[in-house]
Amino acid sequence: MKDLRRIFLRFLSLFTNSSTEAELDREIAAHLQLLEDDFLGQGMTPKEARRAARRAYGGVEQAKQLHRDERAFQGLATIVMDIRYTLRHLRKSPGFTLTAILMLAFGIGATTAVFSIVEGVLLRPLPFADPDRLVILGDDLVGSHWTQPTVTPPDVRNYMRDTHSFLHLGGYQRIGRELAGVGDPVHIYATRMSGEIFSALATDPLMGRWFTQQEDDQHQTVVVLSYTMWRNRFHGDEKILGTKILLDRQPYLVIGIMPRDFEFPLVPGHLNSSELWIPLSLRPEEFTAGYAASWNFRMAGRLKPSVTPAQAQRDAQLVAEETMRNYPGFMRSLRIQSQVKLLHEDTVTQARPLVHTLLIAVVTVLLIACANLAGLLLVRSIRRRREIAVRLALGASTGMLLRQALVESLALSIAGGLVGLVFATACIRIGISLLPETLPRIREITLDWPVVGFALALAILIGLVCGLAPAFAAIRTSVNDTLKEGGRTGTAGSGHGRLRSALVIAEIAVALVLLTASGLLLRSFEKMRQIDPGFRVDHTLTAYYVLPKERYATQFGIDNVTNDLLRSLRQLPGVKAAGITSSRPGSGNNGGIAITVEGVVPRKDAELNMATVSLLQGDPFQALGIRLLRGRVFTESDKADSQLVAIVNRKLTEHYWPGENPLGKRLRRGMPETPTPWLTVVGVVDDVKLGSADGETAEQFYQPVTQQVISEGAFAPAGELTGTYGCIVLHTETPPEQLENPFVAAARKIDPQLPLVDMQTMESVISESEAPRLFNTVLISSFAIIALLLAVLGIYSVIAFSVALREQELAIRMALGCQRTGVLHLVLTSAVKLGAVGCLLGLLTSTAVSHLLRTFLFGVSPFDPLVLTLSAVAMLSFALAASALPAMRAAKINPIIALRGD
Amino acid sequence: MPSKENEPIQLLQGTLDLIVLRTLVSMGSQHAYQIASRLEHVSGNLLSLNQGTLYPALVRLEQYGWIKGTWGKTENNREAKYYAITRTGQKALGEETQRWRRMSGLVEKLLVEEL
Repeated sequence: MKDLRRIFLRFLSLFTNSSTEAELDREIAAHLQLLEDDFLGQGMTPKEARRAARRAYGGVEQAKQLHRDERAFQGLATIVMDIRYTLRHLRKSPGFTLTAILMLAFGIGATTAVFSIVEGVLLRPLPFADPDRLVILGDDLVGSHWTQPTVTPPDVRNYMRDTHSFLHLGGYQRIGRELAGVGDPVHIYATRMSGEIFSALATDPLMGRWFTQQEDDQHQTVVVLSYTMWRNRFHGDEKILGTKILLDRQPYLVIGIMPRDFEFPLVPGHLNSSELWIPLSLRPEEFTAGYAASWNFRMAGRLKPSVTPAQAQRDAQLVAEETMRNYPGFMRSLRIQSQVKLLHEDTVTQARPLVHTLLIAVVTVLLIACANLAGLLLVRSIRRRREIAVRLALGASTGMLLRQALVESLALSIAGGLVGLVFATACIRIGISLLPETLPRIREITLDWPVVGFALALAILIGLVCGLAPAFAAIRTSVNDTLKEGGRTGTAGSGHGRLRSALVIAEIAVALVLLTASGLLLRSFEKMRQIDPGFRVDHTLTAYYVLPKERYATQFGIDNVTNDLLRSLRQLPGVKAAGITSSRPGSGNNGGIAITVEGVVPRKDAELNMATVSLLQGDPFQALGIRLLRGRVFTESDKADSQLVAIVNRKLTEHYWPGENPLGKRLRRGMPETPTPWLTVVGVVDDVKLGSADGETAEQFYQPVTQQVISEGAFAPAGELTGTYGCIVLHTETPPEQLENPFVAAARKIDPQLPLVDMQTMESVISESEAPRLFNTVLISSFAIIALLLAVLGIYSVIAFSVALREQELAIRMALGCQRTGVLHLVLTSAVKLGAVGCLLGLLTSTAVSHLLRTFLFGVSPFDPLVLTLSAVAMLSFALAASALPAMRAAKINPIIALRGD
Repeated sequence: MPSKENEPIQLLQGTLDLIVLRTLVSMGSQHAYQIASRLEHVSGNLLSLNQGTLYPALVRLEQYGWIKGTWGKTENNREAKYYAITRTGQKALGEETQRWRRMSGLVEKLLVEEL
């Protein structure tokens, strides 16, 4: 205890040195005075008394040194002195200090913010135990171009039963459910999943328990709640365990609550994608024709120890072969390939290109910041050559000078790092609100300690690197030459000049790379906005509805309620047209189904013919403003028992019937061997962007919802109900927001419990679909602006400094008759030279890294001449502007004063 | 030639602390000069002690929290820094005295046995 206290005090004393010294002086003086008094009292003369007192006391300086050694760690004292000295120096040149610190803060702040995001997305392990053994299993349906491996209900059964590589393996499906029994009925997202998945993820419930595979197999109606659901909907009430809630008006027993961090499935684009979990409990009809061919489920599992994903994939492929052998006749041309990949990989795949681009942008900015700092330190060390020479002459050791130079740059970089951290915290806040939700686990992104460590390590590294070069330059100073040179004469060594120029050229080059990247992205964004989405964006209001099965058990009931709904919506004042579609444009393409076109014989091993189908009721074409190109739209007379009809989009027409009249042509659902009835084309509409405007246009066809079951033929499950959900679309005369309340009121009048989900104007749907591109563009552009600012600062400081160094030379030139414009010209030319070389290098680098950017561009070549030229011109003009100020100052030099200066 | 008996002895590490503490207990609060005079007086000038060498011991004891210095006035109205023993100092003195006794007892015993 006493030793701890002493260590602390001895450390503290390093910083309270001056006050302690004063106190010590006072005490010694008092002591000597007392001694002197005594000796005087013994009858000595004042002079003798003083000398005797000194003798009795001993060496004053020795006593002081003993005192110092005792009270503080003297080894540290020199470092403290260095730091003090540095701080005093830095305080004396606030401009330099502030520039250096802010520049680094920019660089380090941006780096740290992005590193936090990368940390949060890529590096942070999944929120499950031993995540490296967790995998996703699914089928790749040959020729379908589906991005994620999915499975069918028979697959779930077969894989679970027949594979041997998995400790636990189960299937899951995200579903929507109406939740009632607590407050207003709401539509929620839930997940049906095998009990095995809980075992695979191995996250203990917060309260209660999971359901087991046995309960799943026995079709028990039990439910596990998410933490968010439990807190928000049930106010964190522990008594909820053992009670029942209504899901689609069917009672479920609450058996467990998962902890806050538990999130499954980890779906890009959704936070807390699942609010509760119920057993998968596949129903008998899900093994019949239609469901057996719908890849709407996914599987996840935990590998057995020492089994690799590749081995598991081979194992699963054997099961897939068997599954295919047992395919019914109408599916025999389908080929599936099993895919096993790590869950982690599956979760972050989509975010990877963006994260890589970000890293590159950040490294660029950091490099520029470093180059600037190195430049500044170099300039400073040259300015201080005389001071250093004097100190060397007075006997300072080179080690000491080196140490001081290092301490100075470290002090700067650490200060920069700390300010940068503050900056980063703000950046992360803003960044998260801007980030597209497709980044997985975005909620977990915070500035955390590993990141802080990274930033400080980076700061120190920068300090060491940027400090060493100028430090060595400083100690190479030749004392004699420098002192002989006198004042600010001549050039300060051509080596330094070249190094500075190289730094500036490099800065301009990398800044230009970012500038062109940002230009290309801006043009892509502009191009995307110019794309005609194929539907009206203004004056359109949309909302989804889902009819719960328990209440609407018959097709008659469903048809009645939707007809009533459409009728009362049409009567609302301000509504021009109302319709229902199964897929809302601009919200994403759901993949599509296989189709067969009459007269088009698929080659053997050819890809499947895929098209996206939308089921319609009412007047969705009018409501959405989709242009009819030929033929007619659906009418009330297109009933289940009348001729089966379809409307196709332009792209599908151009694919199968180029140059022909598509009206009267026939197509059907499924593969050639599938027994489904033909649909006759009665109309052609323009292409519609189902996802974002920069996405692919899908081949599409539309059907009246009344004819869905019949058109599915053998695929149709027994007792299938159609039109149980959809997206209602209204074309409004007034601003669409004004109709939100009347819309809800009209729906409530028909069914007071009917929830309307995700009500949005088409404008907001579109801006949501544009958000990811907007984010990329804003992000890269802001990096480009930072890079540009830093580069301009770098150019300015170098030109300003070289002008200051050449003041005498310029003065002599002017004295010898050089015009002021000539001086201006001289300085600007040197800036333009640097700028031109930098731009040339930058353009070369841009083309070299263009492949990185290509995936983010839309409708623009990475070598777009307009963008490249504009960026280069902009960079050059900024370089010129940055050097204009020092150039003008140079032109105003008064030769007489300048020459007399030394 | 001075006899060995009168030769000044070197102080053992740590003993100075003990002596200073002991002085402060028996004499009350004292300034550095008083402490030094007391030491000279008690030892009969056997301790070779420049008065300045007292200072490291004082700063050490103060950092341990065993003594505390405050500025005051002497009878002749001169200023001086008076050191007083603290409560923890008194406790420490007890422990240190014990230790010293054990130590000197041990050394004594060893010396006796050798003879």
